[in-house]
Amino acid sequence: MSSSSTEQAQGTVAVEMPQMGVSVAEGTLTVWHKHVGDHVDRDEIICEVSTDKIDTDVPSPAAGSIVELLVEEEKTVPVGTALAVIAVEGGGGGEPAAAADAPAADAPAPAHAPASGNGTANGSHASFHSPVAQRLAAAHGIDLATVKGTGRGGRVRKQDVLAAAESGRASGSSAAPAAAEPSAPSAGVSEPLSRMRRAIAEHMTRSLHTAAHCTTIIEADFSRVERERAPIGCSPLPLVARAVVAALRAHPALNSTLEGDSLTRHEDVNLGIAVSLGERGLIVPVIHRAQELSAEGLAARIAELARRARADELTADDVRGGTFTITNPGGFGSIASTPIINQPQVGILDLEAVVKRPVAIVDDAGGDAIAVRPMAYLCLSWDHRALDGALAAQFLATLRGVLEGKEVGDDPIGRTAAP
Amino acid sequence: MPEMTYLQAIHDGLREELLADERVLVMGEDVGRFGGAFKVTDGLWDEFGAERVIDTPLAEAAIIGTAVGAAVVGMRPVCEMQFADFVACGFDQLVNVAGKMHYRQGLAVPITVRLPSGGGFGGGPFHSQNPEAWFMHAPGLKVVAPATAADAKGMLIGAIHDPNPVLFFEHKHLYRRVKGEVPPGREETPFRARVAREGRDLTVIAYGAMVWSALEATEDIDGASVEVIDLRSLVPLDEEAILASVAKTSKVVVIDEANATCAAGAQVAALIAERAFEDLDGPVVRVATPDAPIAFSPPLERALLPQADRIEEACRELLEY
Repeated sequence: MSSSSTEQAQGTVAVEMPQMGVSVAEGTLTVWHKHVGDHVDRDEIICEVSTDKIDTDVPSPAAGSIVELLVEEEKTVPVGTALAVIAVEGGGGGEPAAAADAPAADAPAPAHAPASGNGTANGSHASFHSPVAQRLAAAHGIDLATVKGTGRGGRVRKQDVLAAAESGRASGSSAAPAAAEPSAPSAGVSEPLSRMRRAIAEHMTRSLHTAAHCTTIIEADFSRVERERAPIGCSPLPLVARAVVAALRAHPALNSTLEGDSLTRHEDVNLGIAVSLGERGLIVPVIHRAQELSAEGLAARIAELARRARADELTADDVRGGTFTITNPGGFGSIASTPIINQPQVGILDLEAVVKRPVAIVDDAGGDAIAVRPMAYLCLSWDHRALDGALAAQFLATLRGVLEGKEVGDDPIGRTAAP
Repeated sequence: MPEMTYLQAIHDGLREELLADERVLVMGEDVGRFGGAFKVTDGLWDEFGAERVIDTPLAEAAIIGTAVGAAVVGMRPVCEMQFADFVACGFDQLVNVAGKMHYRQGLAVPITVRLPSGGGFGGGPFHSQNPEAWFMHAPGLKVVAPATAADAKGMLIGAIHDPNPVLFFEHKHLYRRVKGEVPPGREETPFRARVAREGRDLTVIAYGAMVWSALEATEDIDGASVEVIDLRSLVPLDEEAILASVAKTSKVVVIDEANATCAAGAQVAALIAERAFEDLDGPVVRVATPDAPIAFSPPLERALLPQADRIEEACRELLEY
């Protein structure tokens, strides 16, 4: 990720909001590390910016001194907006630069007097919301105060609301913050939700309002998974991930996204893996083209994505394009959950704790017996708009078959034949 | 399909109807031997004779009153007002007699009144007006105003076939300026609006000559996608077409060549305010002629009548709103 810059007159250079992924349109300036007058070296970090999910540092494009900071902390501006002006060393004596483009979000809202002879608008200003803007915002659950207006004086126009709704759909980003905090009934410290929590809140609530959630649970014998994972030295997750890929290939209706009335079946399995960031929240990096990876390959990718997620090194593209998601809270001992679908996907598989349980089996002599086996519940939340319960159950049965080694044909997770 | 001017298309429509339906007759000042002040009826007297192409006295009340009587007994008269402005003299026959005949007595009055209207050629206060709204206000009358040659013929034929009194406003400024392919035969153009150009960002609503001004003004406003609606009929007003366009674009400029107060565009603006409020993303903007007589002086006339640059400026303002 490189910071972009624009050559300015008088030996100055503007630092711009960087592009943090192909489909990212704006970013929030989180903190300035430099003040006006400070000297910066080339590539020295001058500020931090973030999207709803990704944080990054902005390096200085040149050595020099800061002439002007154009964007306040916590302001969200479009990609390419000038953030600061730097007088380049030996480039013109640090004269104040001709103001770079003022960021639109900060533009004051001048009252506008229409000039047309027959009279056009009444005085318009940013806080006036037209009937259609209000109606569309209500329909899409958008708080107009959070939408950046491009109309006269910063007024939010119809196209701004539609764009906000569109970007909310496309990225699951926080088009609207969480609803107003309820007043605290008892003593306590209130603080606003973090950006990540707001994004999670918005996304989860929207998913519950959007999808017809159903959860189907199947129990699987993990004896074979436990046996196979030992040589790889990993948790059950990569083997389950590999089995999920195989089951999705057998039931492609689950490897789909549903947006409005449009259901898209995907060729590639882009597998999202939920990674807990502790109190900070949760992020779902995506293993693109997971069908091309072995269980070992998946184990390596999962470990790498988890490390980068916790080190804030994910790019926006790392969290986009998922077609199915696995969440794995079982590491903490839970045995059943009803996960919320990661929109616009149609299914999410929850892998619960593998625990030893007494189970009824048929022994080698054909008689019923009770044995102790490592068992786990696999909980699949699925969208009843896109598919029906029979298919969800068939998918889980296939998944269990792969995990238990009962599937005929290709054995995606078995290693027994390896020398 | 033959190409005709707007004027030729009206002539063609009259001729087709005179040929096809012996109940049709044409009457007006100098429409016969002279062929009409604008030569719309040129040659019809020779072809159909003085019985069916009737020169009348300079008396609009008599022309319309006679036509109403003829219509009631089964004829299909087409009256020409030499200039639309002169219809004021026949106002009572239209508004109180023709318009209320069916309501009072159950009698159809299938008359067509042709009204050469509009300015833009230095005609001054008595020869340039757009008095459509006078008649929109009176129940029982239909009011139409075509913008293209094909519509001029098709709507004239529709007017002659219509069992109601129809005021047919033909724009003088379009007579020889507008040309187009005109279908042969007697096909009616329905009294409904037409999308003259499709667009997404803004709707301009106009009729008559202003349709062409609207198209010219919005040809390229920084790439904005501007829809132009040609109303074609003012009574009945095609409300669904207007509302559908507003629902799509959320911004509307309404053009009137007529004086602004209570003009057809005022009715359109009221309709949008009543029934499309929640679709609006900006004020309904009107561009109209101010409430003043049309000046004889060409520069003053240009200042009064909506010109393409004024329409463009209004569209720009609203697009940026």
